[in-house]
Order: sequence, then C-alpha cells, then structure tokens
Amino acid sequence: MASEVSQNHIRVRDLSVRYGSTRVLNNISIDIPDKKITAIIGPSGCGKTTLLKSFNRLIDLQEGVSVSGQVFVDDEDIYDPKTEITHLRKRMGLLSQRPQVLPMSIYENVVYGLRVHGEKSKEKLNAAVERYLKEAHMWHEVKDRLHTSAAKLSIGQQQRLCLARGLAVGPEVILGDEPTSALDPISAEQIEQRFLALKDKYTIVLVTHILRQARRLADYVVFLYLGNLIEHGPAEEVLNNPRYAKTKAYLEGRFIEEPEIEKELDLIKLTFPESLKALEKVFKELKVGQVLRIVSGEKNLQGLIRSPLVAQHTVLEIKKRDALTSEVIMQKNEGGYSI
Amino acid sequence: MDIRHWKDLLARRLMFLLCVFVLSLLFCIAWGLYHKASPVLAAGSWQAILFSSDWHPSQGRFGLAGFITGTLWVTGLAVVVAVPLSLLTAIFLAEYCPVRLRDVIKPVMELLAGISPVVYGVWGVLVVVPLVRDHLMPFFSGRFPFFPFASDNYTGFSALAGGLVLAVMVTPFMISLMEEVMRGIPFGVRESSLALGATSWQTTKKVILKKAAPGIVAAVILGLSRAIGETMAVLMVAGCALQGFPRSIFDTTYPLPALIANTYGEMMSVPLYDAAIMLAALILLIITVVFNMAAWGILLHLERRET
Repeated sequence: MASEVSQNHIRVRDLSVRYGSTRVLNNISIDIPDKKITAIIGPSGCGKTTLLKSFNRLIDLQEGVSVSGQVFVDDEDIYDPKTEITHLRKRMGLLSQRPQVLPMSIYENVVYGLRVHGEKSKEKLNAAVERYLKEAHMWHEVKDRLHTSAAKLSIGQQQRLCLARGLAVGPEVILGDEPTSALDPISAEQIEQRFLALKDKYTIVLVTHILRQARRLADYVVFLYLGNLIEHGPAEEVLNNPRYAKTKAYLEGRFIEEPEIEKELDLIKLTFPESLKALEKVFKELKVGQVLRIVSGEKNLQGLIRSPLVAQHTVLEIKKRDALTSEVIMQKNEGGYSI
Repeated sequence: MDIRHWKDLLARRLMFLLCVFVLSLLFCIAWGLYHKASPVLAAGSWQAILFSSDWHPSQGRFGLAGFITGTLWVTGLAVVVAVPLSLLTAIFLAEYCPVRLRDVIKPVMELLAGISPVVYGVWGVLVVVPLVRDHLMPFFSGRFPFFPFASDNYTGFSALAGGLVLAVMVTPFMISLMEEVMRGIPFGVRESSLALGATSWQTTKKVILKKAAPGIVAAVILGLSRAIGETMAVLMVAGCALQGFPRSIFDTTYPLPALIANTYGEMMSVPLYDAAIMLAALILLIITVVFNMAAWGILLHLERRET
C-alpha cells in the first residue's frame, strides 16, 4: 500500500463509532483530499465532530467510546494499538468551537507544542513564535506583549493564537470544529481568510453548520446525516447539484424525512439469474411514488445503480450496512429523471 | 387572608429566625470565649501568654506557646504527609481514572471521611504508635541524631504519630476537594493540550495543575483548618506531655484542643485556670475562622473567574 504515491493524507475505511450503545457513526468510508478545504456539513448531532475528532483520536477521551474500522493517516492505521498517539496528534492542529488558550503567556502558548515535544533551543522557539504568529496574522497586534497572559486577548485573537499554536508543531492537517461559531463576524472573517491563505500548505478539514461558510471556503463537501455518510464530492457538485434527496432537503433548509419503505429486496443470497429475475419482478410491482430498499453486496452495487432497470427511479440514498453490504433506497418516478 | 397564607408567613418568619439563630451562634461563642478569657488577659500581658511556654497554672503562669506550637507542629507534619498523598490521588481520580472506577472509589473515600475520630484514635494507638516506636523512631533517631529527628522518647506516643493519624483523617477530605477543583477545569483546555501531542502527564503538570493551583491551595488550607481543630484522635496518640517548644517529631506534644479537652473542668480551683483554657479555645477558634475564610475566598474567586 505504501507504494501508491498519490494516496491522500487521510483515508477513512468503514469507520463506526459508538458511545455506549448509541451508534454515532455508521460505516463511513471516505478520502479527504490533500491541500484542500473539506467541509463536513449536516444537522447537529449527526456525528460531524465525532468524525473530525476520530482523525486525531481525540474521541478516545470520551467515556465508553468504541471504534471499529480504520483511519489511515499517511498509510498508518491510527487505530492500530501500536500507533504513537502523541506523534499522530502532532501532525494535526485543532481549532475548537471556543478558543481554548492555555493558562500561560502568549509566547508560551505558541511554543507549548514544541516544548512538549522536547524542543529546548531558545532561538528556535523565538523564531517559531514570530513565524507562526505572522502566519496567524497577529504578530503586529501582540509582538510588544508576548509575555503577557493569553487570557487577556479578545476572543477572536485567542482563536488566532490557537491557530498559531496548532501550526507551530508543524502539522500537515488542520482540523476545525466550527472554529468561528463563538466569534464575532469580523473575527470569523479573519479566521476564514487564514484558512484560504493556508490551504495551499495544509489539508484543512472543517466542521461547520453554516452553509454559507461551506460555500465560501470548501473545495470538497461531506454531508453526514444521523451518523451516515449521505453524500460527498467536490463542493460545487454537492452544494449546487446534490444527488440524493436528503442532501437536497438539508441544503434547501427543509425537514429531512426518512422515506417510508414499501418494498424490500435482499440480493445477498441470490445468484445471477435469479437475482435479475427478482429485480425485474420487484420493479414491475413497484408503483409510482413507492419506495424500494435493495440490499446488495458491495461489489455489485455500482452495476446495480447503473443498470437500465433503475433508470426510471430516483436513488434517494445509499447506506452502508457494514463493510460488505449496502442498502440502496429508490423511489419510482413518473418522468425520466435518473442519475 | 386565609389560613394557608398565615401558615406560609409564619413558616417563613420562623425559619428566618432559626437561620439567624444558627448564624449568631458563631458570634455568641466567640464573644462568650472572649468574655470568659478576659480575666487572664487582664492579669498578665498577652505577649507573655502567647509567646511563652511557661505553663505553671498553680503559680499563675499561663504560657500557651508550647501548646500553640505543638498544634502547628502536629498539623504541619500532617500536611507534609497528606498533601502529596491527596494531590496524587486526586490527579489520578480527575485525570486518569475511568468514570466507572471513580464512581466506586469516591463513595468509599467519603466513608473514610465519615469514620468517627475516636476510631482513628484507636487505630493510631494500635498501629501507628507501635510503627513509630518500633521502626520509624529507632531508624531515624539513630541515623540522623539531629533536629528534627533526635529524641529520647521511646514510647511511640509522639507528634509524628499524631501527624500520621491526622494526615489519614484529612486526606479523603482534601482529595475530594482537589478532585472537584481539577474536574471543574473546562474539558476543552485538556483537549487542546492533548491535541498538540502532549501526554496526559504533561497536560496535568503544565496546564491542569497551573489552572487548579489556587483551588489546591484552598483545599490544603481547609484540610489544615480541620486538622488544627481535631481533638480526639490526636489526644490519644500524641503523648500529651508538655515539652515546651517542639524539638523532635518523635517527642511527645500537647496540642491546644487536647489541652482543652483534657483539663477543662478539672482544676477549677486554680485561679484564672478556666480563663486560660477559654483563651486557648478562643485562639483555636480564630485560627480556624481565618483559615476557612482564606480558603473560601480563594475558591469563590476561582468560581467567578470561570464564569
């Protein structure tokens, strides 16, 4: 696997996360494109933050969490027990909803990460402070009071300080968990500007519930709903031309309805000629407007969706049941709409 | 007005009065002690009483300094033992311990805090005193024959025994306070330190302890003020023979509360004796009140800062 050069930094494979008995993420598989801004969108409580924090294993801190599946960061499975968490986390800067400055001076905040990783050289620390405060666009605001308490900064400055602090450990990835939600519009704008300026150098993943922010910043969009990955793709496609009903409803600000399943077909146990017959039969019986759920093996999925039989139907959603099986939910329509 | 409103009004007034009564107890006690102690203050200079260890009631000499320093000596020993023990346990509970385990440990610890002091006293006599007598005292006094280890008291009833028993008594209380202070620190602060690749220990050392420091100090002071007033258990193991100023952790010591409990009501024929004991009680009260106020001041300040 390591031989493939064009691998993305972060690849998620069949990731499921539970808190106790509640399933928060359901078989998520996705590649996060490098050196781009990826926005994870979706209504509250749909697992956005959990997905984000699974990238640097901060979800480990939650009580009663259990994770299955894999997350590869630079080809290393980070849920492998042998993975060194502190090194993994060093590769990702985190901006949380509310800026969390550490109880020390501005200077010490920036070099905190370097210090915990053992950097002692005064010159290197000084250089890092200047460089990363400049990258976070706040050097001129604070250069004369580097040794005063960081808690005295305004909340917008605190968030930029957190950005500088995250950049100082030399990450490849920046994770932002609704990083502008606690800020005033001007500070939020400054943070957004920073992201746009930094995206050539870093892979940025943002959780946001602000659709306009996703439109302004994102190159790639991931839509989660109730722990399921509904849709992901380039931002223009997902935001302007969503493929699935739920994405469309969310983008238009409508209530997201679970379709009522009227017919179901399990293709898992059927082999080729029978499966085709069963499909033809069920499509014939299905009335206009009715919803059908087909359970299919992962490898037959693409063939199934592209088959001419499906042409008269709208695919509402494709849900992964586990690593090998998926559910396709489709509705029969009158016109010729197909995907 | 109907009857139920009368009842409501009556209940409100009555409960207010009871509340005032309870509050006034502190002032009544303080005033009463001062009033009763004033004869001894009038008879001699207060400096002679506070700073002299010359305790000869029958000759009218009431130097309390030996008892005051005895109290501080025992309490100091207790703090030296209890603070590291409590702090490390609290760190474990707040930062490392899984919630389920903590839910078991905390109630058990609170049970420990609820055990009657006299039981601790008995435990002290049966376990701690022999431990000091047979092991600690011969070892330290033999190897390090200088202050504060040199001693010729071979009974085991000593300041150290008192300090150890006190330490065990205040530890659960301090742990629970310290743990609360640490868990009161917003989770995001930990998260941001860990997200930079810090280990839990680095996070605790550099961030959590720093943020919790005032609260930890407050917890120590509150523990101290409990220890200072503790009577029964210390009285049973500290030897309670007056030695003047403390010279060794293995010497007997005679703390203020033990003096009061041991002698009040016994030698009342000696002039001014009861006034001197009242003064001892007043001093104890003042120390406790000052310590408590300082601690709550710190904790209140912390609470305001967080909100």
